[in-house]
Amino acid sequence: MVLQNYVELSDGVPARMHFYDHAIVRKTITDPTTGKPSARNALVFDCDQVNGQEVETKFSTMSEKLAGLFQPYLADKSYVNYEFVVTASGEGFRRTFTLQAIPKR
Amino acid sequence: MARKSRQVETRMIAEYLKANYPAFPQILNVPLGPVSEDLMRQEGYKRAIGMARPFRPMADALVILPNYFLLVEAKVWNVVNGLAKLPLYKSLVPHTPELKAYFPREVIMQLVVAWTNPSLEIMAREAGVSLKVYRPPWIEEVAESMHKYWTKEYRERRESVMKMREIVGLE
Repeated sequence: MVLQNYVELSDGVPARMHFYDHAIVRKTITDPTTGKPSARNALVFDCDQVNGQEVETKFSTMSEKLAGLFQPYLADKSYVNYEFVVTASGEGFRRTFTLQAIPKR
Repeated sequence: MARKSRQVETRMIAEYLKANYPAFPQILNVPLGPVSEDLMRQEGYKRAIGMARPFRPMADALVILPNYFLLVEAKVWNVVNGLAKLPLYKSLVPHTPELKAYFPREVIMQLVVAWTNPSLEIMAREAGVSLKVYRPPWIEEVAESMHKYWTKEYRERRESVMKMREIVGLE
């Protein structure tokens, strides 16, 4: 099993993950534009598989758009029945995400 | 400053697919169309896909059904835009390298809307697009607030709520 703190997404490279729990946590970040601290909600998943490898890690996003795509899976934690492939592309405000939801067999 | 935007159509498509096609693989925000073969040769497949991403059109969703690709756009407003995009996006599906593993499949088109009307139904029929109405209560609330958005009473109430959020330090 691989231990790592967080899954890092590389530009344009898909990451296939399986989640078993989640939380919405308040994070303070430094706004890259203003340099001032700013509080944001982050959707954090506990992740036990990345690209077919067993891991113990987290996947975290502050993108409201990506969190919105996960939203229907959160209330009933039905994400445990899926594997998700997340592909990020672009930087800053132009960052976009493709999300693939694959039912687990 | 408090946040003012809402991801209405994002939530709509994600909920709709989860409710209607939970057993099938689905791709949300799917880039479509070819990627230059020269670029693939020079940079490798993955990197070329990543580099081409900003220049490729993006459909709301594609569901991989056993015999078909279901191409889906979801619209609350500007529904005709969604309808007009679908046949164009459909033409790109056979040229999309990320989907090669699933070829050959026919493409069927679906427009998900919160409300329909006779004109939209005629246009959809003509374009070969099936229309689905998906309107959970939260969309009605969003639409109601949009209708009220420009009224004096709503503007005043909204400004006072925003001011209060800043005073109490809510983002």
